[in-house]
Amino acid sequence: MRMAIQGIGICGGFGQGVAALRAALQTGRVEPQEVCIEHKGMTDRLPVYQAAVDGLTEFIPKRALRRIDHFSKMTLLGACLALKDADLLEADRSRTGVVIATGYGTLKTTFDFLDSYLDFGYSCSSPTHFSNSVHNAAAAHVSMQFKATAPSLTLTQFEMSVSSALLTAQIWLAENRVDQVLFGAVDESCEVLHFWRKKFFAEGEQGPIRPFALETQSAVVGEGVSFLLLTRAEQDAAYAFIDRVKLGNHDVCSLRLPQDVRLIVGADGHKETGPWYAQVLKDRTATAYAPLYGSFPAAAGFDLAVAALMLRERKLYLLEDQGVPETTDLQATEEKLACLKFGPAGDYGLIQLSN
Amino acid sequence: MSRLAPIAITGLGCLSGAGVNLAESMQTLFSNQRNPQPSRRFTTGHPHCYPVLELPAEFTLPLDNQEKVYARSCQLALVAAREALTDAGWDERSLRGKRVGVCIGTTIGCALNCDDFYRAYKEDDNPDIGIIKRYLYSNPAAVIAQQFRLDGPTQTIANACSSGTDAIGIGSSWLRAGACDIVIAGGADELARVTYSGFSSLMITDPEPCKPFDLKRKGLNLGEGAGMLVLEHEEVRQEKKVRGYVLGYGTACDAYHLTAPRPDGAGLKQALAEAFATAGVSAKQISFTNAHGTGTPDNDRVESRVLNEILPGVPFVSTKGYTGHTLGAAGGIEAVFTLACLQRKEIPANIGFSEADPELPATPVQENTRIEGDIALSESLAFGGNNAALILARGDA
Repeated sequence: MRMAIQGIGICGGFGQGVAALRAALQTGRVEPQEVCIEHKGMTDRLPVYQAAVDGLTEFIPKRALRRIDHFSKMTLLGACLALKDADLLEADRSRTGVVIATGYGTLKTTFDFLDSYLDFGYSCSSPTHFSNSVHNAAAAHVSMQFKATAPSLTLTQFEMSVSSALLTAQIWLAENRVDQVLFGAVDESCEVLHFWRKKFFAEGEQGPIRPFALETQSAVVGEGVSFLLLTRAEQDAAYAFIDRVKLGNHDVCSLRLPQDVRLIVGADGHKETGPWYAQVLKDRTATAYAPLYGSFPAAAGFDLAVAALMLRERKLYLLEDQGVPETTDLQATEEKLACLKFGPAGDYGLIQLSN
Repeated sequence: MSRLAPIAITGLGCLSGAGVNLAESMQTLFSNQRNPQPSRRFTTGHPHCYPVLELPAEFTLPLDNQEKVYARSCQLALVAAREALTDAGWDERSLRGKRVGVCIGTTIGCALNCDDFYRAYKEDDNPDIGIIKRYLYSNPAAVIAQQFRLDGPTQTIANACSSGTDAIGIGSSWLRAGACDIVIAGGADELARVTYSGFSSLMITDPEPCKPFDLKRKGLNLGEGAGMLVLEHEEVRQEKKVRGYVLGYGTACDAYHLTAPRPDGAGLKQALAEAFATAGVSAKQISFTNAHGTGTPDNDRVESRVLNEILPGVPFVSTKGYTGHTLGAAGGIEAVFTLACLQRKEIPANIGFSEADPELPATPVQENTRIEGDIALSESLAFGGNNAALILARGDA
């Protein structure tokens, strides 16, 4: 079943909101912040695409956010921005479902909870950190904030999280369980994540991200949130339509790419997924936007937002290091894009969109 | 919502503190036995030692060397999935060429709760990065898909304690939508120091064997395990006998509190209404309910009130006294038990219940009880205010 994208709420290393995303696409470049990581007397400097959540207080009083962690704040901000973009901030949300896709969940609060008992003993385990470290805490905050009593779902499938979650949003709409879905993809970075990635990839984490250097590790950690407000396609779409969502494993059954679509790939500088993209792309041209927001599982939701924006504006933005003109007008009456994301084991998610 | 097509269930598998397969679990349930003990898998410095329900000490998970690399939640999921696939008459070879989805609920199985790694990281004691690798390789749905070489959608649901129930409901929808031919759906969760510490910090853990719906209930006992169903599209199933059907699924959010259920049970009632509507059955057709029944004061109060209002007089049981609360696995295990009880036409006694709470208008069955009818309800409540319900029907196998 087709879905219509009615609003986008996005926040990443490039800033927050659709205008900031458009500006990033137009300039074709976003510099990551430099983060100092101090661990046991050693200082490391690492580029990270960090997401600031300052804008959240426009929607929710600061006081109400006191015990809410960064992960949930990002989630709430994405949801608020998407509703605002769709002009639905004041609407009744009793038929609004919430679907959250995340690769890692709330990392900082998970480690805060471990700190509480490792530092002070098991009898001092923090109930607040524990209840906020549960994966679906962010979705619960969204439901509570917006009085959304319809279904709420959080899922985590690493790189496949976004395509898998879209499948659920699609089914809820098709089965008439909801009239709209607040669909969010969110991941956060933290010191421990930086530590383990440094161990895995060493200098490969220094960037810049070169998505199509498929045999080279060039990933840069990112974080952020990308929300879409989805409805059934019986309504006009403010941005674009999601026509099809397909998940599978290319290693088990070969993926055949549709020929009539322009491809946006989730190649983000991780060389372990490079061979899969190389196998299916062959001579096909494709674009990738990870250099604008970094490498993290939920970034597939950012690719989706980019595709939706480009379909609405009928412009194909191309990043400067991909050796092609910066912007191409999408002329066709019926333009189609597809977002393709591979996981390291050949598992893939393919999301097809049209205007 | 309108009625949806029933989905055939062709295979069942489960393991928990109640037994290492379905047959053994049913024997435990109907002999009204349980064996909560201090954990053998981890130690903590808690002033109280809360009992848990683990797999028997003498039982070794039947796994090959590759499978032993995964986190324990995945190992439990694999064992239950293999039992369910065998029950349904499938093996890796016969599944080839089919579109097979995997939809699994979990909590610990997807969380980076690696406290051994983190302790070493904090102490700069050369943390074992292999622990992180194991986490990254151990997404339960992805592991099942990889081990059985499956091509189809995968989804690991992290909806806290309703995850397993949600996974079965969503997996059923995949088949109706034509996203795949077969779905392996259920839940899996291991016991961990993190959840043990977390639940005890919330003061909802009973220092004695848990007592769901009892006046003196103090909380839950944690458990570990997995429960899996094989769901099949009618075109694939053809003449094969079925264990049962998923008739309906409902889900709704309280939008009330992060950890406490909404006192008026509005979210649970909404989930039940949706489940009945999608099943096309009425409350009068329900022969019994497998309740969430954690043994926590709040959960059991809300659940008892809602069951009394929506399903007056319908017998209900919590099987968590036998399995402990297996969190993301609970919905999977309890759906398997519900189907097996429908087949047996009998439900076990709600172990731990002996004294009625005047605040609870409905009380569970106190002895093994014969049931009439072919349709039952299995429900789950969860942190985050999630409520999920499955309407299941007896099959012919």
